[in-house]
Amino acid sequence: MLAYALRRTLWVIPTVLAVITVCYLMLHATPGGPFDTEKHLSAATLANLNAKYHLDQPLWKQYLLYLNALLHGDLGPSVRYVDWSVNDLVSKALPVSLGVGGLSVPIALVIGVLLGTAAAVRRDGITDRIVMLLGNVGNVIPPFVLGPILVWVFAILLKRSDGHGWLPAGGWGDGGWRYRVLPMALLVIINVSSIARVMRGSMIEVLSGNFIRTARAKGMPGHVIVLRHALKPALMPVVSLLGSICISSITAAVVTESVFALPGLGQLVVDGAINRDYTLVLGLVVLTTVTAVVFNLLVDLAYAWLDPRIRY
Amino acid sequence: MKLSHSLTAVLSAITLTFAGAASAVTVPPGTSLAAKQELTRQVPTEVESLDPAHIESWTGDTIGLDLFEGLTRISAAGAVVPGVAESWTRTAPDTWVFKLRHDAKWSNGQPVTAADFIYSWQRVLDPKTGSKYTILLEFVKGAKAILAGKAPLTSLAARAVDPYTLEVKTEVPAAFFTELTAMPAMAPVNKATVDKFGDSWTRPGNLVSNGPYTLTDWEPNNRIVMVKDNNYWNAQHVVITKVTYVPVESDETAMRMYQSGQIDYTYSIPSGIYAQVSKQFGKELQTGVQLATYFYSLNNSDPAFHDPRVRQALSMVIDRDLLTSKLTQAGEVPMYGLIAKGTKGAAVYTPDWASWPMAKRVDYARGLLKAAGYSDAHPLTFTLTYNTNDLHKKVALFSTSEWRTKLGVNAKLENVEYKVLLSERHAGKVQASRDGWFVDYNDAMSYFDQLRCGGVQNDLHFCDPKVDALVDQANAQLDDQKRTALLTQAHNLAMSETPLIALFQYSADRLVKPYVGGYQPTNYVDQRASQDMYLLAH
Repeated sequence: MLAYALRRTLWVIPTVLAVITVCYLMLHATPGGPFDTEKHLSAATLANLNAKYHLDQPLWKQYLLYLNALLHGDLGPSVRYVDWSVNDLVSKALPVSLGVGGLSVPIALVIGVLLGTAAAVRRDGITDRIVMLLGNVGNVIPPFVLGPILVWVFAILLKRSDGHGWLPAGGWGDGGWRYRVLPMALLVIINVSSIARVMRGSMIEVLSGNFIRTARAKGMPGHVIVLRHALKPALMPVVSLLGSICISSITAAVVTESVFALPGLGQLVVDGAINRDYTLVLGLVVLTTVTAVVFNLLVDLAYAWLDPRIRY
Repeated sequence: MKLSHSLTAVLSAITLTFAGAASAVTVPPGTSLAAKQELTRQVPTEVESLDPAHIESWTGDTIGLDLFEGLTRISAAGAVVPGVAESWTRTAPDTWVFKLRHDAKWSNGQPVTAADFIYSWQRVLDPKTGSKYTILLEFVKGAKAILAGKAPLTSLAARAVDPYTLEVKTEVPAAFFTELTAMPAMAPVNKATVDKFGDSWTRPGNLVSNGPYTLTDWEPNNRIVMVKDNNYWNAQHVVITKVTYVPVESDETAMRMYQSGQIDYTYSIPSGIYAQVSKQFGKELQTGVQLATYFYSLNNSDPAFHDPRVRQALSMVIDRDLLTSKLTQAGEVPMYGLIAKGTKGAAVYTPDWASWPMAKRVDYARGLLKAAGYSDAHPLTFTLTYNTNDLHKKVALFSTSEWRTKLGVNAKLENVEYKVLLSERHAGKVQASRDGWFVDYNDAMSYFDQLRCGGVQNDLHFCDPKVDALVDQANAQLDDQKRTALLTQAHNLAMSETPLIALFQYSADRLVKPYVGGYQPTNYVDQRASQDMYLLAH
């Protein structure tokens, strides 16, 4: 197991390198550069800017300069946000994305597993129907519709005595819990619906297994059967789903962070791409790639824990 | 002797001195002010920098005006008023002498002197700084050579006559120079602070500024917080004590934050719902116009648009009144020329045909196209390129429909990403494209580089030496009225050749809480300093 984890971890290096290389070439092949603005820059101004960011160097040299800086933990300067380095920007945005996206995943996991299990145990009953209805609602209504609905109810319709909404409609303010509630609620609703549906299907399948029938025949109570015997194997597909949910909690933040004007990674991705801020985009690509590889590794390791038949 | 007399006469005529009263917020008598004077403003993007050497956007200018003060500044009404300079004199067509006030101070209490301006301007022009927005300082004599690395920083024609007197020479006579000195790009920075902290000098705790506010917090994409600086020379007239800028890119989100009471005024309103917003918010919706033109850029060197008759025909059949009243519906003003209403130095252009009935315009336009060699059998065909945006899409669909139904013109639409459009337009790869021009300073000259032969901003590839000659005459002119007449003549001449198709003047629609005082929608420059505002008791 340890050797497997080590091997997978080492694979991060060529994976990140390949992703950076492809992304680097694609960014530079895209028409329009960081200094294309509505108004032309004078030739001298443009030359000074290109020299400052080494964009006057051959592409291969720029690439090697970038890799060298990366090896030293330096993601480079932001071309758009001149006063900040990419390290600065990412280090300020990451806690926001983790604080919302990262926290919403475990909450959604617990609620989703509970609801999915309850629906499976009471299959075709009222609980099942309600859970499925909620699951469908969460899946069908896109976040850019569901988010504003939540805001309308809790930030505009419901007011405090000072005339302000119960909760902030957007922004991050001082980063307090009030600013996190609605974005987290949105992510939890979206993720719960997926997790509950998968959990329900998986639990129904497991509950129809021979070993469960044997347990029932032995007179074991229902809740013991579910908790001790069915839950662990039923979690396998949820774990698979969890990997993609964790990664998408960063990438899908583009929508959530836009709806709530959060200063997270999603906002930076959009700004970086629109402004052709090469170093900012590359820095975020590196971060997302490493996160994806790590989460996939954790998922694979979780498989082994959940299913004793799996060995690495 | 004769020459000497003439020179004396000219010099005495041009020794124009301005010594205006210090601008301060005007709170009407009897107004009951709120106990807590804390204003929260939305800006549409995260600011690119708080360093005047790198500020280049509307957001940067807006925030920069609260932190830094130039020789002059823009008042609540959009006029140029004294800033650090309490008076100035134009001693020659290309020479300005600014008298700095002795009580202007940095936020650390040190005096602001002429040397600070010289250092800051040289820093912007220093190739090592890599400033993007050098267009304003390029008017100062010697600036272009410094930028190109061909002359030392000290060759800039800005001289400290004494610590509180600054003499500046411009490359060409620039009647609008005091408009430029009001912008953050020409504001001073504190040399000791820049030297001490290097690239991180703009961080909270490091930044030393000379404006009415001083920075206390800056979290990218979240907020910029500043508080009143009691070292500011006019601090006794600054009412707002704390300003928070919140960058929100989505107009929809910003409107919801406004409704929930988080922000006091928005940058804009969501596109396409002006009537609904107007009905819902009533007087809270403040509609004004900006010195900005929405137009279609025509590549005059392209065979399709080489003939001015073709360009005129296309312009004539677009019903701007219908476009702005039924489609864009956000208070835009129909336009026929490049220069927007409210611009100093030239009148707007309105062709005779603008008042004709549409049927007559269409007949005339058909005649022009026919004379240019186009017919139903051989229709004019070209591509109109616009960048992804709901407004641009609507306007493009409307315009191509006008051309197709009224003239039988086959205009194909091409939708590309913003930077792609800029890159292709600058490279002359597009035939007709969506374009917009927001002035850098309030003067007609801010537009003319698009029309001058070989101008840096001339994506139109338009050239008429007569227009250039009129502009040159105007620049040498010291009498404002004569200068305006010449620039108006130059603009009219250029527009009579239809190098572009102007459609409308951009509006500035904002939601402003009823308790925010001092907001003037007639401020065409669209730069509003927080020091000119106050909060009413509510």
